[in-house]
Amino acid sequence: MILFRKFRVLILMVFLVACTMHIMIDLLPKLEKRAAGADSGDGGCRCARHPGAEAQGWGKQRARSPAEAGWPNKHTLRILQDFSPNLTSSRSLEKITAAADAADAFGRTSPSAGKAEDHKPLIGDAGGGRTAHAHGVSGLSTLFEHPLYKVDLPPLTDDDTLFNVNTDIRFYPRATGSQGWHNEEGNQEEEEFSPTGEVTAESYPNWLRFHIGINRYELYGRHSPALDALLKDLVTHRITSVAMKSGGTQLKLIMTFQNYGQALFKPMKQTREQETPPDFFYFSDFERHNAEIAAFHLDRILDFRRVPPVAGRLVNMTREIRDVTRDKKLWRTFFISPANNVCFYGECSYYCSTEHALCGKPDQIEGSLAAFLPDLNLAKRKTWRNPWRRSYHKRKKAEWEVDPDYCDEVKQTPPYDRGTRLLDIMDMTIFDFLMGNMDRHHYETFEKFGNDTFIIHLDNGRGFGKHSHDELSILVPLSQCCRVRKSTYLRLQLLAKEEYQLSSLMEESLLRDRLSPVLIQPHLRAMDRRLRLVLQVLAGCVEKEGHVNVVEGNLAGDTVTHRSRGHR
Amino acid sequence: GTTAHPADGGSKLETLFAHPLYSIQTPALGPEERLVQAEQLMEYYRRKVSRWERHMKLFSGAAALSNTTLIGHEVTFDPDASWLKFHLGISRYALYSRDDPAVPQLLKDMARMRVVNADYTQDEKALKGTCDCTQVVKPSGHHLKLALKMHNFAKAMFKPMRQQREEQTPEDFFYFVDFQRHNAEIAAFHLDRVLDFRRVPPVAGRLVNVTSEVLQVTYTDDLRAVFFTSPANNTCFFAKCLYVCKTEYAVCGSPDLLEGSLSAYLPGLSIAPRISIPNPWIRSYTFSGQEEWEGNPFYCDTIKQLYPYNSGNRLLNIIDMSIFDFLTGNMDRHHYEIFTKFGDEGFLLHLDNARGFGKHSHDEMSILAPLTQCCMIKHSTLLRLQLLAQPGFRLSDVMRESLEGDPLRPILTEPHLLALDRRLQKVLRVVRRCVRRLGENGVITRDFVKSTERPQ
Repeated sequence: MILFRKFRVLILMVFLVACTMHIMIDLLPKLEKRAAGADSGDGGCRCARHPGAEAQGWGKQRARSPAEAGWPNKHTLRILQDFSPNLTSSRSLEKITAAADAADAFGRTSPSAGKAEDHKPLIGDAGGGRTAHAHGVSGLSTLFEHPLYKVDLPPLTDDDTLFNVNTDIRFYPRATGSQGWHNEEGNQEEEEFSPTGEVTAESYPNWLRFHIGINRYELYGRHSPALDALLKDLVTHRITSVAMKSGGTQLKLIMTFQNYGQALFKPMKQTREQETPPDFFYFSDFERHNAEIAAFHLDRILDFRRVPPVAGRLVNMTREIRDVTRDKKLWRTFFISPANNVCFYGECSYYCSTEHALCGKPDQIEGSLAAFLPDLNLAKRKTWRNPWRRSYHKRKKAEWEVDPDYCDEVKQTPPYDRGTRLLDIMDMTIFDFLMGNMDRHHYETFEKFGNDTFIIHLDNGRGFGKHSHDELSILVPLSQCCRVRKSTYLRLQLLAKEEYQLSSLMEESLLRDRLSPVLIQPHLRAMDRRLRLVLQVLAGCVEKEGHVNVVEGNLAGDTVTHRSRGHR
Repeated sequence: GTTAHPADGGSKLETLFAHPLYSIQTPALGPEERLVQAEQLMEYYRRKVSRWERHMKLFSGAAALSNTTLIGHEVTFDPDASWLKFHLGISRYALYSRDDPAVPQLLKDMARMRVVNADYTQDEKALKGTCDCTQVVKPSGHHLKLALKMHNFAKAMFKPMRQQREEQTPEDFFYFVDFQRHNAEIAAFHLDRVLDFRRVPPVAGRLVNVTSEVLQVTYTDDLRAVFFTSPANNTCFFAKCLYVCKTEYAVCGSPDLLEGSLSAYLPGLSIAPRISIPNPWIRSYTFSGQEEWEGNPFYCDTIKQLYPYNSGNRLLNIIDMSIFDFLTGNMDRHHYEIFTKFGDEGFLLHLDNARGFGKHSHDEMSILAPLTQCCMIKHSTLLRLQLLAQPGFRLSDVMRESLEGDPLRPILTEPHLLALDRRLQKVLRVVRRCVRRLGENGVITRDFVKSTERPQ
């Protein structure tokens, strides 16, 4: 009898769930996928969460990226599309506000700003009296006041923005607040953060504002208020669910916040002082959370704005990871260490074993949170193989390592034969060399913008591994091609000057992170040294090939300088 | 060594070995009390050498065809080889006798002799290349160790250096994921000799040239395949499974030289079979599990009823082993081995001590559980422990002096040596507490060595 009744209840439940789904599918055809994803949240019919693939709707879309489609072939085995941060940022058309504002805006949470001030004199002393600090003037705000940092973007049309605010925004169901959503998952969410029905750009969560702000030329505006708000969100917002990122080589977690924003979490694996052992190959190096944070700041100081926002955060492993994950595989790897610390090791192909367990103290762990880029479904991205990709083999050499004229070949291959792509690669090369990142095997662009757009600098965790070594092979693209953007060249020269020293600017910028100090002094000083090496290489190029053939003017409003093939 | 000698000029180690407690002799040994017979061993040795020569002919033929460079080394049949004498000297009472000249000679030989062959060890081969990366506790075959053969056919197990002397086991590591330390192997041998147990096969440190002494003398393709040159131009190699599973990186020479421990092989299982028995005080080898002994203070009462611990010296031998492990801090004693020939009365072999000496700032009292729970100890062991606690024979001093003799000195850092003294005091305190509770007769047990001769 009881059995029978139970059975009836079950049937009824199934029917009910089916009905609900049906209605939702009917009513919100465009939201279908997402609806299904969210359903999984309420423990209903889709609770079998596919842990690796983050079975939410969001995950499903992402799963189409080559790296995640099944067990990929050899070349895609390594994660290519590493993260897709999601954040909000400014509308890119914003007028450039006063530089002082900008600097203010860059400062994030007030507590960390306070901390920063506490540290400043100390670290300034340690650094041997940096000029900028001595005057009590922020070096960063001076930098951002410099004319080189005030060059306007060309006017943007609808084709130049990633999202058309009016038509595309409803793809973000959670943000636009369809009530169905809200009721289902809302029980556990605080009302204050539930999206409102009204759709005005200002009421969007910051991650969405960041997404809307992405355009053909940059990920975020120089003085975007949404960026700072987003960095603050990453550190303060409550984490509502955690999933393991599939497809990557090393452990990464996808964290979802109460406002539905998502971020990629890379836990701390090494202390700040540790260097990559000399015998490690670039592909067996650890991913460092502080490298991710520092890369974002460096990219910003170089005015590239091609790295999604990253902030450091102290995460409580018990409350913010273990208790909010529905990923059994992840949950199962939690244990208490002999020293009574909470540890876990997750599941991945590199360094996910007890020997490499991540342990808190007793349950706090440091990590970097990188904002997701817009979902691949809404903004497709193209993955390109870096022409100067390394062999990823212990003995083999890549073609560019043996062929000194390799760049000539590259210059004749689309998309490097026209547009700004080759110059973008040069920018990326310089960026990677300053960090010592040898692991740039692929890069991505937004498909919507075609070939005339910037390169997104994702996945910088393998930078800042050795401060005592400058890996000159990273600079090979630059020394082989001998080309550079004028704006980049001028900024590099600026940053090599005493009053704008790169290391002190980085130090100042990094003080704003919660996990400050993010980089130890030797790493900061190494950047100055490497910057000089870059300038040396460029000076050599200019001497050999002449200024006009090396430095590509892009400042006189001719952002899309087409260099014809015949020009060479 | 200059610091090893006490101020009065004498050697504490020599004084220790001259002490009456260390001159008790075992009864004269009959042939039945020796592990292997000379003729049998010679015959075995001769067979091995001729088989090796046959193989070498084949190999050099094949090498000439495939144009590979193999440095073929001649082997010499040496009836006076130190390892033969060591094998012949193994008796019912110990692996070697105190004054056996073969042991120092063997240590020297291992540290210096030309290596003619390198190969995986048997337990690694037994795994047949299967790697299960989900295993939390890796089988012993997964760890990086190699069998080296010297030109006079002495065999030794090579464990490369994995950790700097100053490094300690990270506090969050469980005993079953701890590193294997080559210096712990070396130090364990010396400690065992100082304690007069003589149950650890001789171990010597050596700087091995991994190119000429491993890569170029191995005939195993699998082993050759794990060698590579690192970005820093060092020669490196790795344990296949641990590397594939990304739990461990390679070990690298600088550029070719790599420190390691060489521990002498025991006679082959075909002529001297051994059995491996689970330690009654085994740990759970899980993150959270507990074994019965960890919760039950009367666990020993149960063990005392069980064969083979219900008679003879076996339980006392276990307690000796636990004292030895406590002094080194080795929590990974899951099994012990005995020679089948000597039956239940034989001594326990203390093999595989590479997980000792991991933390000098921590004394893991749970290793002493057999002593604290059973409250019994051999009289001879106790007397020696008391002696080593005296200033004139202080354990750390004699160990420091003994380890000075190793080519890789210093083997242990000062904090580890001082920890030995501290732990020795803790052992003696446990014994005193037992004596207070149960009386001297209930705790201090006379064993056979004691019965043969009286020390002063």
